[in-house]
Amino acid sequence: METILLLNTSMLLTLTIILTPTILPLTTPFKNSTSSITNAVKTAFLTSLIPMTMFFHSGTESIISNWEWKFIMNFKIPLSFKMDQYSLIFLPIALVVTWSILQFASWYMASEPHITKFFSYLLTFLTMMLLLITANNMFLLFIGWEGVGIMSFLLIGWWFARAEANTAALQAILYNRIGDIGLILSMAWLASTLNSWEIQQASSPTQTPTLPLLGLILAATGKSAQFGLHPWLPAAMEGPTPVSALLHSSTMVVAGIFLLIRSHPMLTNNPSALTLCLCLGALSTLFAATCALTQNDIKKIIAFSTSSQLGLMMVTIGLNLPQLAFFHISTHAFFKAMLFLCSGSIIHSLNGEQDIRKMGGLQKILPTTTSCLTIGNLALMGTPFLAGFYSKDLIIENLNTSYLNTWALALTLLATSFTATYSFRLTMLVQTGFNRTPPISPINENNPMILNPLTRLALGSIMAGLLISSLIPPTNTPPMTMPLPTKMAAIAVTAAGIILALELSNMTHSLTLPKQNPYINFSSSLGYFNPLAHRTNSSNLLYPGQKIATQLIDLSWYKKIGPEGLADLQQIPSKTSTSLHKGLIKTYLGTFALSTLIILATL
Amino acid sequence: SEMSKDLLPGPYPRTPEERAAAAKKYNMRVEDYEPYPDDGFGYGDYPKLPNKSLHERDPWYQWDQPDLRHNWGQPMHWDFDMYVRNRVDTSPTPVPWHTMRNHFLAFLGTMLIMFVLGEFYPSYRPVGPKQYPFNDLYLERGGDPNKEPPVVTHYEI
Repeated sequence: METILLLNTSMLLTLTIILTPTILPLTTPFKNSTSSITNAVKTAFLTSLIPMTMFFHSGTESIISNWEWKFIMNFKIPLSFKMDQYSLIFLPIALVVTWSILQFASWYMASEPHITKFFSYLLTFLTMMLLLITANNMFLLFIGWEGVGIMSFLLIGWWFARAEANTAALQAILYNRIGDIGLILSMAWLASTLNSWEIQQASSPTQTPTLPLLGLILAATGKSAQFGLHPWLPAAMEGPTPVSALLHSSTMVVAGIFLLIRSHPMLTNNPSALTLCLCLGALSTLFAATCALTQNDIKKIIAFSTSSQLGLMMVTIGLNLPQLAFFHISTHAFFKAMLFLCSGSIIHSLNGEQDIRKMGGLQKILPTTTSCLTIGNLALMGTPFLAGFYSKDLIIENLNTSYLNTWALALTLLATSFTATYSFRLTMLVQTGFNRTPPISPINENNPMILNPLTRLALGSIMAGLLISSLIPPTNTPPMTMPLPTKMAAIAVTAAGIILALELSNMTHSLTLPKQNPYINFSSSLGYFNPLAHRTNSSNLLYPGQKIATQLIDLSWYKKIGPEGLADLQQIPSKTSTSLHKGLIKTYLGTFALSTLIILATL
Repeated sequence: SEMSKDLLPGPYPRTPEERAAAAKKYNMRVEDYEPYPDDGFGYGDYPKLPNKSLHERDPWYQWDQPDLRHNWGQPMHWDFDMYVRNRVDTSPTPVPWHTMRNHFLAFLGTMLIMFVLGEFYPSYRPVGPKQYPFNDLYLERGGDPNKEPPVVTHYEI
């Protein structure tokens, strides 16, 4: 059987099925509905399992080039798709997560009048994301990159009448734009040096210059919310929970890391770029984990958790292990989306309550949701043999046995223990203890639209790690021998984090109110980064901008160049020439006499 | 139709009567009305309102325009598009500004210094001492026992 043909055909068929609900209503009298879009994504998921199974079975990869945009004569921009292990595995994962989220959203957004538009926005986002994943050249990747940025803006600001949602959407666009500067810089360098935007062309035997790599790292900092360009990710929680589950946990925010994975042949040779990735990732993961410790909004805690895991993926890139970073992306997608869906179920059941201080005792009231929340939190902490363990434990082992910056190692281990702390705090405050919610909302879980996605993603959170790690051969030898403390390091720091969380919860139960101290203030104000950066930057740009545009340019320069300047220039000769015709008889007689004398003198 | 001449902004008010007329024009009390200083920047008699953003106005009051937190006829700030709720927020922070700045810079500075230190003292797996053969069997292969044997490295970190 022609394996490559089947691979290419099924992949293109998947992408076409995704495009169908967008294109079909334009040409035929077919109306989209939530069930049609959900079924389209489900069909696409089942179709995408074919090439994934073929890759597991025989390791086939391919690059196909369909059409070429003949724009400039000696620069090729083909419409080419790359089916390698990264795209073949991520496609079914993204599709199953999207299918689950769409099913969930048909319950969560049931009271939304424009629900079909919401679903078509989510579908457009999925199309852009899949384009980014399967792109073989930077041009298609850039189209997908910008596309996911635009859809993120539209979806965060879905409830556009709310000023905070608009501010959050604007923040997302601005921070992503700063990252785009880096991406365009790298694209320009690639185009001018290698005369091609194809990803295969980009590997070189000698050290790649640092400048394009800095551009790529800046792009990843913007899109994947690393420290420095991170505030948009917690602010993006203003959007509906399905948006947070799809974009800001599983798919869009990993686009930056995916870019670095795709361009790892360029990164491999440049140790300074790798060290920069490592340090930036370590700082991001610790900063986000610190901020998550004192948050009280359930969605914000999970958002900071995402930010912290993205920092961990950046650390893995810095260790020159792109395959492991991709593995963590895949397992993270499952449990993070599930955490968001559980939080959405809890929020709707409690009639819009998002503060964990007002939740409690939900273990008996919402059994399936809280069980899935527990599974998700355990997977996030890296509990042995759940999905997160396979990727996270491997990352920690590689960290401990490599030659790297000591402080980066220390920060990552500290962040791992903080992960356990805030996950445990979340579980304790939401599920256990006495019920602190007002007893007015009817809570039930009898809708299969909630239960099916949650159980599907829970199954994925448990099995995905084992399946992916056993079916894909690693590209580099993992560290096999290490002393026992090093091997147990991840579990040890996680246990330390859980013990810390238990201690703190004991303190709160014995009613000792924590006094305000600088560390709590730093953590709960998100490191003071938001007010410092946002207020100074915007007021320093807007106020002088208004002054320059109005007073300097409009009122001064335009007037000087145009009417008033001309008028001033005209005044000088007119002042000097009016003295000649002011009606002074003596001056006239004098000039008459002078000119007569001159005429007589020349005779 | 256009606004009448007496409703448009005018030149800087010099006499107290002009000030009172300008305050009435802008729907302000004479005590509150304060024009921009007349230093040639073209503000005229437009009132100088306090530089407070719309975030600081009461969110629960029933404004005429709820998104702008503005009532009909209320004088708007010269830079009102900067103080809208999507832009600059001047509301008082729980922590004073200099404390925020100092703590943040201290955090960032400590991190950077520690990262630089970590570059000079990296962590790596402790490698064992060189095993047999130490120096490629220099003596056994007939090397001169009085001369220094050449240094042989079997590994690089």
